[in-house]
Amino acid sequence: MDESKLYELMDEYRNPPHLGKPKDYDALEEGSSASCGDRFTVYLKLSGGTVKSADFEGSGCVISTVCMSRVCGAISGKTKEQIRSMDIKDVKKLIGIDQISASRISCAMLGLETIKKALADKKRM
Amino acid sequence: MSMERRGKLLDAAQIRKDFPILSKKVNGHPLVYFDSAATSQKPRQVIDGIRYFYENLNANPLRSIHKLAEEATIAYNAARDKVAKFINADPDEIVFVRNTTEAINLASYALPLKKGDRVVSSYLEHHSNILPWLRLKDIGVTVDFVDVDDEYELDMEHYRSLPNDTRLVTVSHESNVSGTVNDVREIAALAHEAGAMVLIDAAQSAPHMKIDVKDIGADLLAFSGHKMLGPFGIGVLYVNKTLHEHMKPFLTGGEMIESVRLNDVKYQKIPRFYEAGTQDVEGAYGLGLAIDYLNRIGMGNVEAYDKALTEHLFDSVRSVKGLDVYGGKSGKYGPILSFNVKGLHSHDVAYFLDKKGFALRSGFHCAQPFIEDKLKANGTARASLYIYNTLAEIDRFAAEIKNIARKYGRI
Repeated sequence: MDESKLYELMDEYRNPPHLGKPKDYDALEEGSSASCGDRFTVYLKLSGGTVKSADFEGSGCVISTVCMSRVCGAISGKTKEQIRSMDIKDVKKLIGIDQISASRISCAMLGLETIKKALADKKRM
Repeated sequence: MSMERRGKLLDAAQIRKDFPILSKKVNGHPLVYFDSAATSQKPRQVIDGIRYFYENLNANPLRSIHKLAEEATIAYNAARDKVAKFINADPDEIVFVRNTTEAINLASYALPLKKGDRVVSSYLEHHSNILPWLRLKDIGVTVDFVDVDDEYELDMEHYRSLPNDTRLVTVSHESNVSGTVNDVREIAALAHEAGAMVLIDAAQSAPHMKIDVKDIGADLLAFSGHKMLGPFGIGVLYVNKTLHEHMKPFLTGGEMIESVRLNDVKYQKIPRFYEAGTQDVEGAYGLGLAIDYLNRIGMGNVEAYDKALTEHLFDSVRSVKGLDVYGGKSGKYGPILSFNVKGLHSHDVAYFLDKKGFALRSGFHCAQPFIEDKLKANGTARASLYIYNTLAEIDRFAAEIKNIARKYGRI
């Protein structure tokens, strides 16, 4: 199955479940793609070394937005170490596709990369 | 202008036969290549010519004295002569570089700019005509950016009131995002009045119109071979002779010197001064063949055909609901259409089009300040056309855009 399946997810793209700035959060990080124009801010609520919840603001293409939102959903309850070890294989599993073209890998990974940056022990609020 | 009249400007059907890649199918559809502002396709004459070079002329020019090297040198020099003639310059004003980016970077290192000097760039520029100048802030050079109006045209008043400390005005001939063709002749005249030099980024214009550096009044002018039917890896920096004695070295090394003693180095004159090391001889040769190809068609015919394509392109999408089209009303545009489908990211538009065989670029097009600050967008989809495109392709494109806007957009 290839990335065209993502385009069946237009409703989720329009209304991603994790879109919106939460009232309180413990970490934030901005992520953007220099060539695409995608720009996200992620907000993490932490408890010890565990992510309690994750949300985001911003906009991007269908692939980056849906991946961003699903990664937010998937990391709740995960430890920092678990999240740091996630990679493209995990993102592919989350969105239920196994083929993403080379030029769109960066779209799919923008959310996870931004979350990893947020967990890199800086910008803690 | 009727379709028949347009057809006479240039025989696109005949031209298409010279471009083998245009018979390729993409995702089950005939390729419609609308990404020529990123790189043009190459005619058989260039592709075969490069093969001919390696099978018949290959040696390192300007160095060895054997027969083959002599032939390579003649071919390399002939390419420089063709480029010079193409833009009405002298051969010793033509420096071969990799591309426009390298040309402008070279200029930023080699021009005698110093603390207290001012460089005037513009909002319409590609990153490659912004970043080399911003870097000079580190040595105390001020960098200004001329604003654009709602029709994406430069604020000419800015050029009429250049401060006294302006040493260089650098501006694109044609925007790679909006397609705006700037009045570089007027800008050059105003810059010269203010005592400043002028650099023209002709990356988007050189493929599409007759360039005359003397008529423009350019002191420096840069363009890339690969956008004008030539191979990758070869570009040109024109440097007006009057500047030569003032310019500093850029890359140093082989063949750019007259003599080297460890305590005394004498450099060659431009262009060899800026061609250190073995050059992209194949690229220069290929660019020469691309120029031959364009000359056979005639740049006047190229320009007129481009104009017909541009008008048809803009006319075709104007009636499509749910589009933001980033073009003004002045008509001074090259064959570039930047647009967005409301409610969709430009990558997704390009993705849907790709599924039907259309090749378009999407995103920032290396012009983030213009797109973010002036178009207020997070990218655009861009259709950019050339001599091998047809009015029929534009019609199919407009129909597909309509489908995408209706199906996925927010009208």
